[in-house]
Parts: sequence; C-alpha cells; structure tokens
Amino acid sequence: MNYPIWELPSLGGGTLIAIIAVTHAFVAHFAVGGGLFLVLTEIKARRNNNPQLLGYVRSHTKFFLLLTMVFGGITGVGIWFIISLVQPAATSFLIHQFVFAWATEWVFFIAEIIALLIYHYRFDKMNPKDHIAIGWLYFIFAWLSLFVINGILGFMLTPGQWLETRDFWQGFFNPSFWPALVFRTGIALSIAGMFGLITATFLKEKALRQYLYTLNTRWLFFPFILIAITALWYLAILPSDAEANLLRFNPAVKPYFTIWVITTALIFLTGITFLVKLPLTFQRFTVFILVLTGLGWMAGFEYTREIARKPYVIYGYMYSNSIKHSDMDSVNRTGFLKSAKWSDIKEVTADNMLDAGNELMRMQCLSCHTLGGNNDIVSRTSHLTERGMEAKITGLGSFSEYMPPFAGTGEEKEALAAYIMREIHGKEAPESYQAKVKEETVTVPPFNDNNKYVLLAWNDLGMHCISDNSDYWSFLPPANTLWAQLIRRGPKPQVISQGVEIHYEVEEGYRHPEKHVDFWKNAQKTYGADLETGIGLAGKGLAGSMDPHTHQAYIAKLIPVIPYRDDGTYNPYPLFEITARDENTGETLAATKVVAPTSTEMGCRNCHQGGWRVNDYSGIADMTAENILNVHDRIEGTQLMYEVESGNPVLCQRCHADPAIGAAGKKEVLNFSTAIHGFHAHYLKEMNGDACNLCHPSMPSGNTQCLRGRHASLGLKCTHCHGKLEDHGLALIKNEARFGKPRAAKLSKNLQPRSVETFADVVPRQPWLQEPDCISCHTNFDIRSRKTAPTGFNNWVDGSNSLYRNRTDTHGVMCAACHGAPHAEYYAINKYGEDRDNIQPLQYMPIAGTIGTKGNCKVCHTKEMEVNGHHRNMLKPYPRIKEPAETTVFE
Amino acid sequence: MLAQVIPAADAIPVNWWWFQILLLLTFLLHLILMNFILGGSLITLWDTFKKKPAPEGNSIPTLIALTINLGVPPLLFVQVLFGNFFYTSSVLLAGPWIMVIPVLIITYYGAYIYVFKKTKSPVFSRVSLLIASIFMLFIAFMLVNNNTLLLTPERWGIYAENKSGWFLNLSEPTLWPRYLHFIIGAVAIAGLGKAGFYHFKKVTPPDLQKQEKQRGLKIFAFATMIQVVIGIWFWLSLPEPIWKHFMGGNTFATFWMMLGILITLAGIFTATRGLFVATISIALFLMINMIIIREIVRHQYLKGAGAPSALAVTGETGSLIMFLAVFLIGIAMIYYMIKLIFKPKHT
Repeated sequence: MNYPIWELPSLGGGTLIAIIAVTHAFVAHFAVGGGLFLVLTEIKARRNNNPQLLGYVRSHTKFFLLLTMVFGGITGVGIWFIISLVQPAATSFLIHQFVFAWATEWVFFIAEIIALLIYHYRFDKMNPKDHIAIGWLYFIFAWLSLFVINGILGFMLTPGQWLETRDFWQGFFNPSFWPALVFRTGIALSIAGMFGLITATFLKEKALRQYLYTLNTRWLFFPFILIAITALWYLAILPSDAEANLLRFNPAVKPYFTIWVITTALIFLTGITFLVKLPLTFQRFTVFILVLTGLGWMAGFEYTREIARKPYVIYGYMYSNSIKHSDMDSVNRTGFLKSAKWSDIKEVTADNMLDAGNELMRMQCLSCHTLGGNNDIVSRTSHLTERGMEAKITGLGSFSEYMPPFAGTGEEKEALAAYIMREIHGKEAPESYQAKVKEETVTVPPFNDNNKYVLLAWNDLGMHCISDNSDYWSFLPPANTLWAQLIRRGPKPQVISQGVEIHYEVEEGYRHPEKHVDFWKNAQKTYGADLETGIGLAGKGLAGSMDPHTHQAYIAKLIPVIPYRDDGTYNPYPLFEITARDENTGETLAATKVVAPTSTEMGCRNCHQGGWRVNDYSGIADMTAENILNVHDRIEGTQLMYEVESGNPVLCQRCHADPAIGAAGKKEVLNFSTAIHGFHAHYLKEMNGDACNLCHPSMPSGNTQCLRGRHASLGLKCTHCHGKLEDHGLALIKNEARFGKPRAAKLSKNLQPRSVETFADVVPRQPWLQEPDCISCHTNFDIRSRKTAPTGFNNWVDGSNSLYRNRTDTHGVMCAACHGAPHAEYYAINKYGEDRDNIQPLQYMPIAGTIGTKGNCKVCHTKEMEVNGHHRNMLKPYPRIKEPAETTVFE
Repeated sequence: MLAQVIPAADAIPVNWWWFQILLLLTFLLHLILMNFILGGSLITLWDTFKKKPAPEGNSIPTLIALTINLGVPPLLFVQVLFGNFFYTSSVLLAGPWIMVIPVLIITYYGAYIYVFKKTKSPVFSRVSLLIASIFMLFIAFMLVNNNTLLLTPERWGIYAENKSGWFLNLSEPTLWPRYLHFIIGAVAIAGLGKAGFYHFKKVTPPDLQKQEKQRGLKIFAFATMIQVVIGIWFWLSLPEPIWKHFMGGNTFATFWMMLGILITLAGIFTATRGLFVATISIALFLMINMIIIREIVRHQYLKGAGAPSALAVTGETGSLIMFLAVFLIGIAMIYYMIKLIFKPKHT
C-alpha cells in the first residue's frame, strides 16, 4: 500500500523469495552444523593420531569454505535483497525494529568469517590446540548468528506479547524462539552429515571412506530424534488459528507437507545405503539424491512454516499484502485506492472500473497469487460468476482465515470482482434477468349462503423449494404438504374431524412429474426410498385422500408436485382442487382450490455459475451442481464428486442432520441449515433481504417471488422475521455450539451480529422447529406501528408445536386456516395472477383478505359477531383492503 | 504531489546520529576494501594480460569476503535512515538490482578460480578474473544507480510506465560522473593497496619490490589527477542548489570541499614523490572527507522530504546496549584470533 509493487504476474515474488531462501537456509544450516563437525572430527583425528582423517578434515574445510562462505553467505544477502523488493513494508518494519539485533548478528558474521579463513588458510601452520580453538570459535559464532536470525524469524510467526507491549525482548524471545532454535540446531547437525557424505565419496582410501560414511550417517540420523521432539514442541506453540489453518483449512499446505514427509523417508532410505558396502559410482549417485532430498526437505519445512503464518507476514500485525491489521478499519472507510500511495487510480468510477480492479488486484492479491504460475488465481476463480467472485472476496479472512480480508469499499470490491471475471476470465458483464411470467386467470369456486360448510385449505410452509438436479445431489425432494379444515357453518360453527373424506387433486398438466425430473430415478440412492413413480416420500401421489390429523384437520404430506407442466411451461403455483365428501353417502359437502407452491428456482448459479437446468430460470445445471461438490470436497476433504461419478448421487442430509426431512445425519457434523447458512453468511455480509434472494426463490425479478403475502406488500423482507443472514446463521450456530460441535466455533468466529450487540445476545434456535411468531412483532395481537422496523429475530417460539403453521386457537381452528399459508398470508399478491393465493377469501367473502375480515364473521358464524372470539383485536375498524402501495421501506 | 508517493518512514530505536555515524564508519571500511577488490581486480587484470606476476591478486577472494561482510552494516544503516527512499528506488530497479546477487556469486567464485587455476589453467584463470572484474563493475553500477535514484523522488514517475523493474535510470545527469568518480577512485586506492602490499611483504628480488611499490603510488597519483577532473564534473552535474551549497552556500560544506581539494593535491604531490606513508595517511583522510561530502549531498537532496532528524524515535535502548557489548566482545575475540595467526607454531 505504501510502496510500489514489483510486477511479476506469472512468476510471483513469493516464488523468488522461496527459491533464494530455501537454498540459503539449506546451506546456512550446513554452515552451522558443519562447523561443529569439522572441529569435533579434527579433535578425533588428532587424538587418535590419524593423519588421513586430518587430511579429510582439511579438504572438507576447503569444500566447506567454498560452499558456505560464497554461496551460503551471498544467498543470505540475497534473501535481504528479495524481501526488500517483494515485501518492503514488512522488511522496513523488521529492519527498524531489530536493527541492533541484525547489527549483533553482523558481529558474529565477521567473527565467523575471520575464524573460518584462519581455520582454512592456517590449517597446518598453527599449533593444534590453537587451531582447534579457532574451530570452536567458528562454530560458536556460527551458532550465535543462527540464534539471532531465529529470533527475528520466530517473531514473524509468533510475536507473542510484543503485540501489546512493543517490547524488543519480548519480540525477540518470542513463544516459538526456543523450540525453533533447538529444531534448527538439529537440522544443522543432520545436514552436516549430508554434506560430509559428499566429501567422503571423493576419498580414495576405501577404509577411510567407509569410516566416514558411518560417521556421517550418525550425524545424519541421530539429530532426527531432536528434530522430532522439538517439532511437536514447535507445533504446540503455534497460535491456535495458525495451527488450525495449517493442519485443517489451508489446502495450499498439502503438497509441501507431503514433500516433507516423503523426503524424510527418503533421507533415511538413502542414508542407510551408506552403511552397506556398495560400488562407489552408486554411492556418488546416492549422495547426490540425498542432497537433493535434503534440499526438498528444507523446502517442505520452510514452506510449511511460511504457510502457518498466513494471512500475515508479521502475525497479528501486518498482512501478507503489507496492510497493517490496525489500518484495516480506516482503509475500509476511506477506500484502498485512496489510501494506497502508488495507485494510479484513486477512486472507482463507472468508466475506470476495470482499471481500478486491476490496481486492486496488483496491490492486494499479487503479493501472494500469480496469473498462471504458483498459487494461481485464475484456476481458483474460474468456477465463479462475478457475483460469486464478489462473495468470495467478502469471505476472505472470514471463513478462509489463512487469507487476509479484503481492504476497501464495496465499490472497490465490485471493481475487483469485475476485473477478475471480465478481464482475466474474459467473461461478459453480468446481466440482470427479468423472468417472463405468464399470468393465468383462476376461476374462483362458487359459494353462497346455502352452503352448509366452509372448506379451508392451505399449504404448510407457503413455499416449497426443490433441489432439482438429483443426478448429482439432493437436499429438498418434491414434497408439498397440504392442510385442510372443514367447518360446519352455524351460530356455533363446528370443526368437522370425522365422517368425511377430503380429496385432493392437482390440476391438469402436473400429474406426471416423473416425466420432467429425475427424482424417482435417484430416490433409492439418495433418500433410500423405493418409490413408485409419481408417489412422494410419505406415500402420497398427485391425487388422493387427505389423512386425519390430531388438530381436527386433514393433511396430505409430501405430495411430489413440481412446477414443470407437461406443455413445457413453468408455474410454481399449481392449483389443487380440494373436495370434502360425506364418507358414507359420497355427497360433496364443500369444494375449494388451493395453491401448492413449489419452485425449482434455487439460485446456486448466481455465484457458483452454470446457468439453469430448465428454461432459463429453474433447476440446477450440471455445471453448478459439480462446482458445488468440488468446493465441498476441497474445503472438507470429502470425495463427493467421486461418489457421484461412480453413479451415487449424494444426499446432503446423509451427514447434515435435518428436521425438515427427518434425517439424523452424523453427530459431529453441523445440521444442514446451520452448515449452509452459517457458511454462506461469511460470503454474503452486510446485506438485507437481497442475501436471501440469491439462493431462495424470492428474487423479485425471478420466476417465483415466493415472499408474496401481506407483510411483503408492506415492505417487509425475509430478514425482518428470520434475521439478517449473519444473525440467522449465528442463531443456528449457537444452538449447535451447545452440542460442542467442533465447526460451530469456527463458523461463528468472524460473523458480526447485526441486530444485537454480541454473540452472547443471540438466542439459539433449531432450524425448522423454531421461528418467530405473530406475537414476536404483534404484541397482544395489536396492529404494529410502522414507525420502526420490526424484527422477529431472537423471538423464537419454543418448539414445533408453537409454530404459527402448527397452532390452533382455543376453538380448534388453525391459525393458517383463516390467515393463509406463511409467506402468502392474506392478502397475497402472486406473480402468476394477482389473486391466485386469495382464492378462499374471494370464494367465501368475497374480499381478498383474512377469512372473516371486515365484519365477515358470518362466513362461518352465519351472523355478525360482537366479541373477539378467536384472539384479541379481531373486531376493529380496518383500513381499506388493498390500499394503494403505502409500502414503507424498512431496513 | 511528491510527498504523496514517498512511503511513510518507520520509527528508529535511538537518536539518528547513532546510525549516521555508524553508517559513515562502516561505509568507509567497506569502501576501502571495495576499492581494493574492484580497483585491484582491474589492475591485476592489466598485469596478468601484460604477463606480469601479480601475487597481490591472490588476496582478492579473501578481500571479497571481507568487502561483502563490511557491506552489510552500511546497507543496514542506510535502510534505517533512508529506507522509505531506498526500498522504493530498489523496486523501480528491481530486475537489474536482484541480478546483483547471482552476479556477485559468480564474481566471488570467479576470483577463486582465478587464484586456484593460475598455474594449471592460466587462460581459464585470466578469463575468470576478467568476468569477475566486469561483474564487479556491474555491481558497482547498480549500487551507484540505486543510491542515486533514492535521492530523486521526482524521477519515480517512471513507475507508471514501467512496473516490471527493468529500468536503469540512464538519463539521470549525475549517474555517469558519479559512477566514474567511484571507479577511478577505486583504481587509485587499489594502487595504494598494491603499494602497501609491497611495502609490507618481502618479495624477491628486492628491486621488484621497490618497483612495484612505486608503480602502486604512480597509479594512485595518475588516477587521482583524473579524479580531479571527474570530480569537478560530478560536482557540477548535481542540481544547482546543491553544488552551490559547496561553493559558498554553506560555510562548513564549502570549507570541507576546499579542504578535500587541497588534500587531493597534496596526495598527488606525495605520491609522485614516492612517499608511501604520507600518501596513505592523506588518502585515508581524503576518503573520510569524500564520504562526508557524499552524505551532505544526500541530506541536501532529501532535505524536507525525508530528513533523518524527522524520524520518530521509540527510545528502545536495550538492543543498542546489547549490540555495543557484543561488538566489544567480538572485537576482542577477533583480536585474539588474529594474534593466534602470528603465534609461531611449536613442532
């Protein structure tokens, strides 16, 4: 942000640092361990009066000097050069913070060099005791230089208390200092053995050669005991986030960890060959392999350590993109482009959007990512739409904590998403779609005062969605539930619960759902149910009898009606004819019609790409379904895509418990609603009802627009009852947290509640079984003032029986019978014909409104009533029904 | 406008004078050694191609080790005082700047090859020295270039056209005179080094010793004469307010520059007279004089935009004390080790 960026789009600055640093570290550890090896072997040679061995020490010293002083020394300066170029902000900070540590290290360097030069050039020209003293001094100074750099390197990973105190000593002697120091000392000794084997293979005398093989193999192997123990210590000292990212969440670590494990095994395997007498050419080859393996080992370790530190370059202080943690708030407010000194563009406008995105990409992303090289951004984003890219950027640092959060305003985020999608991936700018919906007229069934019965019917949820790509996965099958109550009219109306048969039948064109969806083909594999085609999971077909229910009502569960008609059109509001007949005589007592709302407009493709499966805005395309499985596999380490490719479509609730379909799931896994909402909340932050619209069929321009009741026409959004997505997720997560599920803590961590202060203020809720209730906003059944925005969030009922859709009043009449299905409460405005959801009110009153409204108690009571019989505040002067849009815009 | 692109500077632990003095001291040491290896390589190269023996050339690898090592402290302290300028100019020159590292590795190994292969493969040996010398000239060029670009934020606009770091700032007016001034200066000091080598080391025949010593002094004299011309060119290529600073603009600066010129002339005089000890004393003082002028120039360039005196100080003195203690111990240990070199070996 402060400094200009060196553009290396394909190579990546990080790769350059890695190459220079790993080669340096490999040789530098040798420079330390080899020093001890030299002096100890010299002592041994002199004590045993072994001139041959001493000769080896002499020649090994020359090799040592040429390798460590030239290559080792200069690559060390090389690291300094390259980090100053690729990450000047952090380098400047470390230089200023630790200047005298580095100055101290320099004293050790110069003493080291002088010692080594003397040790080599005066090998035979000094008293043995003095020469050995020089040897010891070399090793001591070399180890002390490791001591110093270890402090600074460790500080970057575990600054410890320095973050609060800014104290030099606490920063230097940080939490990982001692484990890392011992760990690296072990490495140094082992690598000494590695290089000792090289020079040993050049010896002409066989016996001496074999002796040195044995000696060096001991140097190679024994330190691994130390390395293994301190590795555990090192791991234990990591901050818990770093450890979690390293061991679980950051997929980038896998290849390096694998390299580390493989090279460890190879080191042992190749090392062992030196204990056996083998031809010299073979051993020269093997030693070459061993050294390469050692370099690979070093790369594996150093890379793993680097990854543990992400998203920071200095943990808790500065992110890898050089933005300071403490600057994030002001950068987000002011804008990144305005805050960045070297940005060509200072503000996003309509004209420069893509160029602004380019700047943002350069300055925030290219510090770690490349275009087509290591850690490639292209392949990581190709499965998203522009909206999805925006969402992914929102989620950075939130769920994927090894990433720094995006720094900048909402416009800047959009510009970056647009740039990545339109310039890098060459995609078109997204177009908003407006579904073409054909309205249909509905014939309202007749009713007059001679009718003895009132038949009320409604859908249980007011909306049912189907995950329509069952070849890949499923979590919502075709399954609509209809309720009915039959009331005998009179001064004392009666709810009839016996002696009648309630028949239901869907209108023409919907009777063969198996022709349009693959649900039945896959039902056995996904739902474990052997179903006849056209029959739902509770045994009900598209026509049949409703079953009695304890609420003096009748119910037909899980009717598999779908929105695709035989003539190829789409209508998510198919009509059912409900007929009540006398059980004995067969006489028709009452008949009505009701909508069974059923939509396949699941908006996964809004972010996950792929288009629609059917006719432009319905169903889930194969590509979308695949993209989703691939994401799940990548993040969770599952093999779902493999299962699907082997012919086994996946039921999400196999692992994720779900009361909606009665699935028990796996105990340690979050339930489905928590997982899907809690996860996506990280990506769709700071939104209102538009977050819901991205997935649920509630998009106003879509082909369903399921939120269509009275509340919707007053300007309420999904979020007014269910809470904004973060809150919605947190309430579910908090419930799961009570069962100690491991992922609950991670999901709740970076979600900020929107309508309450803290997570502690969130009331936990079970999905499907706990929702807000009328009384949550309409205290005492009062009409609510429009002065303040309502919220049902945090006001959950206790359980399923207290839900609006499951309740009756004291007379046994279910709430929904008069007020309508949830989301379509009377009066509703339906996209496919304004009064499609208001059939029964129009039939019985005829006013599109709550049954009995505006003095129409006579629908059931056959006369006017003067008392609030069913609940408080029924009889009062109402405003005119269907008043012009006085919609208040609530937040 | 410019202030907007100059990155914010980080705070320093103690008063800036600590770093300024340390910078000048360590730079002096680095410069002396660098002159020996750069100038020395060029002189040795000349000698070897002229088929003359050049035993002093054998010390080049060891001197390279020390030069690199002593390059670390000034690089450290310049980053402490001027880091926000230095890192920026480095990024603008990133491509050739990072090439310094592999080039230095080849230079260093080249010097060893020169020494090791002198008798067995003289051609290979000479070519190695040639490559090493050319590479040293490149490294010097990059160091001069970077240190110049850091002074001129008004030229940093090149970044808008060139973000990939392959930039050499060749249109900077002070670049060539500054570079030549340092190269010729290196030859001059290396000449003195050669004279010193023959002053201390007994070589047979004694005539050769005296001859080479005098040659060294002559190289110094001749190169320094050229330096006077290049020096004036360099001086006048600086921006007007800055060269005027040394021409009456500032009393101390003017006095110091005049002193430098006088000393230079004195040095030429003593060198042509063959007076080794006098010349080397004058040369040392001359180097100190020039380094201070260079630093004054730097402060004049950055006046207002980035004076080190404006840096925030954290007051963290503990690490300074640690460094000073370790430094003293280090000096003592080095002294001890060097003493061991001169201890006669018992049989």
